[in-house]
Amino acid sequence: MFETGTFIVSIVAFLIMFLIIRRYGFKPLADMLEQRRQYIERQISEAEEGRAQAEALLAEQRRLLEEARQEARNIVEAARARADEQAREILQAAQAEAQRLLEENRQMIAREREEALNAALREVADITVRLTAKLLQQNVTDAVHEKLLAEAEKKLGELVC
Amino acid sequence: MPAFPILFPGTFPINLTCIGMMILTGIIVIVFLRLGLRRLDMRHPRGLQNLLEWIADFAANMARDTMPNEQAVRWILPLAFTMLIYLFVANWLGLIATIAIHLDHPIPWLGLTAERLRQAHGEVPLFDSPTANMSMTLGLAIMVWVISHARGLRHPKQYFKHFISPSPLAIIEEITNPLTHGMRLYGNIFAGEALMGIILGIPLVFGWIPIGLPLLLVWLFYSAFVSTIQAYVFTILMCLYIGNKSFDGHGAH
Repeated sequence: MFETGTFIVSIVAFLIMFLIIRRYGFKPLADMLEQRRQYIERQISEAEEGRAQAEALLAEQRRLLEEARQEARNIVEAARARADEQAREILQAAQAEAQRLLEENRQMIAREREEALNAALREVADITVRLTAKLLQQNVTDAVHEKLLAEAEKKLGELVC
Repeated sequence: MPAFPILFPGTFPINLTCIGMMILTGIIVIVFLRLGLRRLDMRHPRGLQNLLEWIADFAANMARDTMPNEQAVRWILPLAFTMLIYLFVANWLGLIATIAIHLDHPIPWLGLTAERLRQAHGEVPLFDSPTANMSMTLGLAIMVWVISHARGLRHPKQYFKHFISPSPLAIIEEITNPLTHGMRLYGNIFAGEALMGIILGIPLVFGWIPIGLPLLLVWLFYSAFVSTIQAYVFTILMCLYIGNKSFDGHGAH
């Protein structure tokens, strides 16, 4: 049989107990589950983020390595070019120096030859004059001597040249 | 018919055994939950916590099957969880024991008149399943009914449309649903207890051979099964009825 009082009181009693159970029995459990869900979600997103970061870093490393390689190649290339240039310059300088030395020596030889010739001429002229003077009985004044010497030198110069 | 102690028998009869057992059930449930929640650990669940998590998961799956969207699931989840554990404990209490005292002296202010005592052979049950009482289960069913309609009224247009839109005959369901909802639970639990009482009443052959014992064991197993199933059925029907009237979100059931 139906009892009105039991009916109403049981609803009220159940609702009160439901509120108590929800507050002290269910809420901590639900909070924990929610916390766990968030924790797992965070872990997953962090892992994904970490992987993306690692990939980005790896790509960056590869790029840097490639760049470094390229740069090294460039440096070697430049160094080689410079070395070639230098070698050529040194060679040129050496050639120029040799040329200059050759020229100098040649000039020196020519000058010495001239000097020697001049000295020989002078000597010959002197001897000639002295011979002439002797031939002319040694009576020649200094002035005549000088004049003869000059004449002889001139003649000899004409002779030589 | 056993003679329950009843407060205000004439005007507003309150079955004291039933209400007392409800409160006892509530205490058992809260003690069980608090025991399980004693050392909550997010990363290393163990012992009772695993069981509680499984129950919560079970209730959540039930709610997800019947509710239109996640928000409604979150709303119904505490009620479904509580109802599941509460009804399970309540149904099992009557299986574990039914205690009755034999009363010879009538107590009129508790409704235990001489005539009722005589009809019940002086048996006054004090420990019983609260769900073996028709008023209590109907109370729960009507509570669910009220909740479902209150939730439906949050979207009045769809709420009033859904009474007539597939077929006006659906209005009949609004009456039969809560009735069957409550009576199903009551009938199963009450039948289990009543038959158990009868089996216990089988006299011993030759004064010492308990021929009712195998029967009792079989019936105990069956009742345990029914008790568990009925807790589940009541809870999932509750989710279904409330989910049917939750019009928020995309496409109700």
